[in-house]
Amino acid sequence: MTESPGATPHPGTFARAWAKAVSGTSYLPMTQAQLESLLDRLTAELASALLTEPFDLRAGHRVGAELVAAHIASAEGLGRTVEVIQLRLVRDLGLVAEEVEDRMARLLAAVATGYARALRDRTLDEQESIRRAAMRARTQAERALRASEARFRHQATHDPLTGLPNRTLFTERLTAALNEPGRGAQRVGVCFLDLDRFKVVNDTLGHQIGDLLLATVAERLRKAMGEHLVARLGGDEFVILVEQTAGTDDMVALAETALAAVRTPALVDGHELQISASIGIVERQVAGANPTDLMRAADSTLHWAKSAGGARWALYDAERNQRELARYALSAAIPAALERGEFYLDYQPLTSLRDGSLVGVEALVRWRHPELGVLRPDSFIGLAEETGLIVQLGGWVLAEACREAEAWSAGGAAAPFVSVNLAVRQVHRPGLVQEVRALLRQTGLPPERLQLEITESTMMSTAEEPVRALRVLADLGVRIAIDDFGTGYSNLAYLRDLPVTELKVAGEFVAGLRSSSVGRTDERILASLVSLAHALDLTVTAEGVETAGQAERLRAIGCDAAQGWHFGRPAPADRIMARIR
Amino acid sequence: MQRPDWAPDTIDIERPSVARMYDYYLGGSHNFAADRAAAQAMVAAVPEAPLMAQANRAFLRRAVHHLAEAGIRQFLDIGSGIPTVGNVHEIAQQLDPRSRVVYVDVDPVAVAHSREILAGNEQATVVQEDLRHPEAILAHPDVRELLDLSQPVAVMVVAVLHFVSDDDRPAELLRTLRDALAPGSYLVLSQASDDGRSEDERAEAERVYQRTDNPLWVRSRAELTALFDGFELLDPGVVWVPQWRPDTPESAEDAERAVFMGGVGRLGD
Repeated sequence: MTESPGATPHPGTFARAWAKAVSGTSYLPMTQAQLESLLDRLTAELASALLTEPFDLRAGHRVGAELVAAHIASAEGLGRTVEVIQLRLVRDLGLVAEEVEDRMARLLAAVATGYARALRDRTLDEQESIRRAAMRARTQAERALRASEARFRHQATHDPLTGLPNRTLFTERLTAALNEPGRGAQRVGVCFLDLDRFKVVNDTLGHQIGDLLLATVAERLRKAMGEHLVARLGGDEFVILVEQTAGTDDMVALAETALAAVRTPALVDGHELQISASIGIVERQVAGANPTDLMRAADSTLHWAKSAGGARWALYDAERNQRELARYALSAAIPAALERGEFYLDYQPLTSLRDGSLVGVEALVRWRHPELGVLRPDSFIGLAEETGLIVQLGGWVLAEACREAEAWSAGGAAAPFVSVNLAVRQVHRPGLVQEVRALLRQTGLPPERLQLEITESTMMSTAEEPVRALRVLADLGVRIAIDDFGTGYSNLAYLRDLPVTELKVAGEFVAGLRSSSVGRTDERILASLVSLAHALDLTVTAEGVETAGQAERLRAIGCDAAQGWHFGRPAPADRIMARIR
Repeated sequence: MQRPDWAPDTIDIERPSVARMYDYYLGGSHNFAADRAAAQAMVAAVPEAPLMAQANRAFLRRAVHHLAEAGIRQFLDIGSGIPTVGNVHEIAQQLDPRSRVVYVDVDPVAVAHSREILAGNEQATVVQEDLRHPEAILAHPDVRELLDLSQPVAVMVVAVLHFVSDDDRPAELLRTLRDALAPGSYLVLSQASDDGRSEDERAEAERVYQRTDNPLWVRSRAELTALFDGFELLDPGVVWVPQWRPDTPESAEDAERAVFMGGVGRLGD
């Protein structure tokens, strides 16, 4: 606090009383001594105003304003000031003036007026300043909120590993591209990209390296694809959205660029990694397209590229898709068709080349499809094998063949055995032995009249269980034949371990017997096979015999039996049986 | 969309703020209707509330004045509230204009207001932080820029610790601050206390405080003295704030009515 020149160095009694009166009315940012010194100066002003002619109101105003400026700024502060001046000023200072009461009233009025004006201004200023602060704080909070929402939105729509847009954002953009008004005539495309054998990287080098590789690939794709949206859908799946294409050529060029970007060797944490990708391309008109169908098509197309060996693109083909859908529908219908009895068996004769007798028949399954007519096994067995339905279907074939074959012995003559194909999955199933045993018991078919045909590939696996099962079955007396011998790996080692009774030689060797030059080689192979088989105590049946000439040469080689159109086409059991009676 | 926890609060002036209530007790008009209503309710329950605030503010003034005279030129005022009258930088810079002051408050309006008051003052600034995050305060770039922690600093924790519950471990918060300070630094601390009161009085007081939006965590003289762990308490130790080096003997009368206790400690060399 500055002290005006001429102020008394020691505050008088009045100033001290005044200071005491206003203490505690509001916070005063000064020492008691500073307060007293200030009030001492104001006391002098008041005294002089009271005595000076003419009476000057402005002195009172000034004192009121100075009090407020010194933070003696409250209703109580004013009240006590008025009280102490009224009661003590004249007395304590021993002032003598004319009409002092009248002047005192006017002075107090002036002090109160000056004080109230200053307090009002101060209050308004403070209110304004706190409101401004609140507004600014609110603006800042809102800005921070918007920033955090933007950040949150970014997090929700981007993949943290690669920083690429994620499935959510991709789906939004694709949907928007398809639904944008007036775009119906334009074309849209996606490249669905998946790294080939990425799992091997994770499994051998660890997920950390795998993640780094994904980030590298992501960055390359983002750069290579320019303005087109590149998103990571998850795992090693990426997708490129082309919102406007001129046709499939555009998309193919883009896919080539993407494949090249992935193909470049990547240096990841000291490992030089060479990886390739497969891409499914779908390109179509915006009108009539929807995101779900489009992505499903892209997914199927990607699988075509994968199953063709990877490191390539495939273009969506509606007809191929249709065929696959039909195949899928067909396989899905197998269980119901079994229940409705839509399957039946035809049998093809296996004829002795020695005496022309019927030694056996091969059971061949047929599907009397209510819409598609009679279907041959090649149109549904492959599917059934892929989906695992072969176990159910194969089980039915085996049971039906046993049931029918048992009836053939009623004729009295030496009845033929029935040969049934077993799929890989059936042989590898734990319950095979019990299943066959139960069937033989239920139908009463003698075990030696059942032949199970397995392919070479069935024995490719090193599992011991199937071999043991086949051995148990062979010990029961069931015949075991190797089907299509000579077309697989023809690994002779298993002939040593397996209880095989017969080799069925693939039709392609027999077909060769027609032409002379190639025929001679095939004939030599066949002759060797026969002599090998006989040396191992196995019989040999030739498949696909179509002419009398072929039959004659097979007989000359020493082949035991034959099967093919020359000896009889597949037919229902009663027609085959009628022939032998 | 669920909002993540780092999303900021919005500003709601309908909610009373302890910083603006304090301004009201000091006789200021930097407050809104909700603050005044809450402050008046508090005064109805605890008639001494304005006296408490004023006594505490006077303690702050005397403490800063003393430290400035003792040569301290850096101040970190945590829980500074609304800069009304008699702010740390006004007191300190009156003695030496080169004194540097950093205010810290959690209330965004108080911070915005402080920023306006401090505009143009290169030696003082304000940051929005919480006493309960001392690491964040110490690491704040503005704190780092203005204060040189290799030199003594006076850390002011004045009339704020009673908003920090024991669960927030006030002793650990202060230790974190202390460990960042150079020898010769000071801690100025004050807060509401129930020292010397009977169990009944204490229970009565706690009931009153629980009714307000910000319950107070009153602490005894012994508890407050323990918070100066590592500091050398200046005379007269932890006392009712009017008793801490009063300007005049009379101003220390009826000191316990001020409810606040406080003290100043020096970090030894």
